[in-house]
Amino acid sequence: MRDDEQSESERNAERWIEMKVIIGFEIHEQLNTKTKLYCDSPTNYRDVPPNTHVCEVCTGMPGAKPYPVNQDAIDAAVEIALMLNCEIVKEPIYIQRKHYDYPDLPSGYQRTSLPIGRNGSLSGIGIWEVHLEEDPGKYDPITGKVDYNRSGVPLVEVVTAPEIYSPEDARNFLRELTKVLSYTGKVRPEGGTMRTDTNISIEGGARVEIKNINSIKGAYRALKFEITRQKNLRKRGVAVKRETRAFLEAQMITKTMRVKEEAEDYRYIPDPDIPPLVITSAKIESIKKTMPEAPHLKEQRFIRQYGIKKDDAWAITGEIEMADAFEEVCKEIDPKTAAPFFRHIIKKKLNFDNKTFSESGLTAGDITTILKSMNLGELTASSGELVIRGIIEEHKPALHIIEEKGLKRITEKDVVEKAVEEAIAENQRAVQDYLSGKVEALNFVVGSVMRKTRGRADAQTVLEMLKRKLEK
Amino acid sequence: MDAEEKVSRYLEKIKKEDKKIKAFIELNPNVLEEAREIDRKIKQRKAGTLAGLAIAIKSNINVRGLRATCASKTLENYVSAYDATVIERIKREDGVIIGMTNMDEFACGSSGETSYFGPTQNPAAPGRIPGGSSSGSAAAVAAQFCDIALGSDTGGSIRNPASHCGVVGLKPTYGLVPRYGLIDLAMSLDQIGPIARDVYFTALMLEVIAGYNPMECTTINVPKQEYSKNLSRNIAGYKIGFAREFEEFTDPKIMGVIKNSLKKLENLGAEIVDVQLPNLGKGLSTYYLTVFVEFFSATRKFDGRRYGYKIEEVCGREVLRRILLGKYISQKEYSGKYYKKALQFRSLIKQELLAALSGVDVIAGPTVPKLPHELGTKIEDPLIMYGYDVLTVPANLAGIPGGVIKAGEAEGIPVGLQIQGKPLEEQRILNVMYALESNSGSRHDEKRI
Repeated sequence: MRDDEQSESERNAERWIEMKVIIGFEIHEQLNTKTKLYCDSPTNYRDVPPNTHVCEVCTGMPGAKPYPVNQDAIDAAVEIALMLNCEIVKEPIYIQRKHYDYPDLPSGYQRTSLPIGRNGSLSGIGIWEVHLEEDPGKYDPITGKVDYNRSGVPLVEVVTAPEIYSPEDARNFLRELTKVLSYTGKVRPEGGTMRTDTNISIEGGARVEIKNINSIKGAYRALKFEITRQKNLRKRGVAVKRETRAFLEAQMITKTMRVKEEAEDYRYIPDPDIPPLVITSAKIESIKKTMPEAPHLKEQRFIRQYGIKKDDAWAITGEIEMADAFEEVCKEIDPKTAAPFFRHIIKKKLNFDNKTFSESGLTAGDITTILKSMNLGELTASSGELVIRGIIEEHKPALHIIEEKGLKRITEKDVVEKAVEEAIAENQRAVQDYLSGKVEALNFVVGSVMRKTRGRADAQTVLEMLKRKLEK
Repeated sequence: MDAEEKVSRYLEKIKKEDKKIKAFIELNPNVLEEAREIDRKIKQRKAGTLAGLAIAIKSNINVRGLRATCASKTLENYVSAYDATVIERIKREDGVIIGMTNMDEFACGSSGETSYFGPTQNPAAPGRIPGGSSSGSAAAVAAQFCDIALGSDTGGSIRNPASHCGVVGLKPTYGLVPRYGLIDLAMSLDQIGPIARDVYFTALMLEVIAGYNPMECTTINVPKQEYSKNLSRNIAGYKIGFAREFEEFTDPKIMGVIKNSLKKLENLGAEIVDVQLPNLGKGLSTYYLTVFVEFFSATRKFDGRRYGYKIEEVCGREVLRRILLGKYISQKEYSGKYYKKALQFRSLIKQELLAALSGVDVIAGPTVPKLPHELGTKIEDPLIMYGYDVLTVPANLAGIPGGVIKAGEAEGIPVGLQIQGKPLEEQRILNVMYALESNSGSRHDEKRI
């Protein structure tokens, strides 16, 4: 009997490696409306002392009633749903009360709308629904205090189909989603406001929900941990329980919150204080007219319209501000020149500094100036890069940086010629090596010339000049 | 008599008599000062419509600086930080808030007995319950402790005590009067309305508190009406509906008084027309299911974290019963069976009432099917208590207005005639009551008869 059990678990052990992982997400992101979802209190709760951006509505005082639903928040949710290729629900959309008992919830229920958009998709992954919610306050379990400044800030929730099959795909999906959300300009730009719940199951096992995930990196780590945990259980022949687990970011593990039997009943009822939302076709059309092109559509258009490479187009459309700047630059510059400059020079610097394009201070005008000068031969490629760095680091316009650093290319032949002659004289060994057949030795001499001219000479011209002189 | 003098007389009367009646939970400590301020305005001819009138407020309506206790230990120490919209409007028209009235705890009751601060006496029928849940508001008007009072009506809470105390009360169309600042019983049914000694004051208060509030989703955007100016005693040609079904539920002694007043209306030129309300009796279960679920939801904020007490730990039996039933039937597995069914049935009742109203100007009938019981009588079966509401809940379920005026007395106890109208047709209800009032003479004349 023991032997039987052993072989059973061994068979399990072999099977688990092949087992398919199924992942789905519920993603919450704060909308950047000026006021809260059901009252006039401002939403910039981070900038003010606790419990100062509150009123009787968002603190749920006895007798207070919600104001009509913030129209900007409704419009933002519709736009996000449209960007995710959802159908917008035409029937009345009820706001429901979801009851649960927690210190951060001043009324003992959270208001959450039924779906505003349904049946969408992003990167080949189904979007089940998009709806509106209100953020609760912020509870500090250590001091036992609650800050209601956040209470009532509008959230959009995106629910995906369970169609993600690895932590890597999950990470890519979340990145893509973040990109779409930031494209709309309707979510809080400061970042760090995303909250995610994820459902994960391994083929044939029960579904586990993980809560408390606050970043893409966190989602990836939580999933990695959870897959290992579940596979290890299965390897030992133990069934995975259906439960809700919390992700503990600092320890990078997940921990049981509650098992299925204790599942909460939220006792949903339509909120009697709020008539259902109705989204008209006219409203949908007007939002469609002003909403931005989705990033993946923009990428395809860039490839088609500007004849640039897919990788370049993907990098440039990573941020709507960069994509817009690129299009502006392309009015004067050949896109095939501009695209690699954006991807290799600009993006490289942004990645290095961990900045977004909009934070960098770069403008289409500056970039056009740099590229024009490079085309005219006034700036070398390496000087171009220096100007980009200068703008980002010193927040000065391109022309200023070029002037200040003396980056204008040396075109006077005699200056370059002098430097070449000096370099030949100073690097006799390299010259001899070159003459005796070591072609690459000449690069060393070129380098010396470039140093002497502080990069302002054109490398190709220098090389040709050197060759001519040495062949004499 | 100026406002200050009038208010001091009221205060004196309250001081003398309210220990017995218990109409008030709290008096406004600044009332004399506020009255003086209004007297100054009156002299400068700058005062509003309610200038110097003393207004009593039910303790579930927020008045800044006063306690809105809902007559519960739960909110024993809750001092309002803001004015309800109706209070803003009363203050704008220079009404003086004299105090906060007693009520059934969280408006859960039809007798005025469930208050944490003790039951209210019926000034018009000593020893009897005043009705509820706006018990203190109706009693304060009947005892002449104020000029006008505000009550709230979820299933009859204005009309029931108005009937038992022999005063005038009006539950407006759902959405006509803003609820902002009214502590919830059942949000889809609650409505604030006036209780007063006569129809004129009722109309005057209604025109002050009625009207659209753009910041409240459930108020109706309709032009302001001047109910008091438009009062007319001429009801000749009015068609007044009466449903046979009323008699099935009502004590014959009460029916006798009601029939009498219908005759008076006929003498005034109105035509009494038969209407059918076959589902009249079915309103109660629909009503109570809705109340339980919405009340459960509304009381979740009283979790003991902000207002001192957790409601379930300190409330009375009736409040607890409603919370627990609401918690039970709103469970996922039951909501389809109970709450959603109740919502469906509600629209059926609404259609039936609107259909009955379509051929008439108003429907007139009894308000409460039984005479008020004696204070101290133990009624253990909640269904018997709920039975008091059978004739008043349909108006709330349908969202239509309903007024009550004294029709006469049975065994020396006031009996109120209920007049229900089409949505937003408060004026017709007021006019019928006005005609009847002039015909009957004042409340005091009636008593001598």
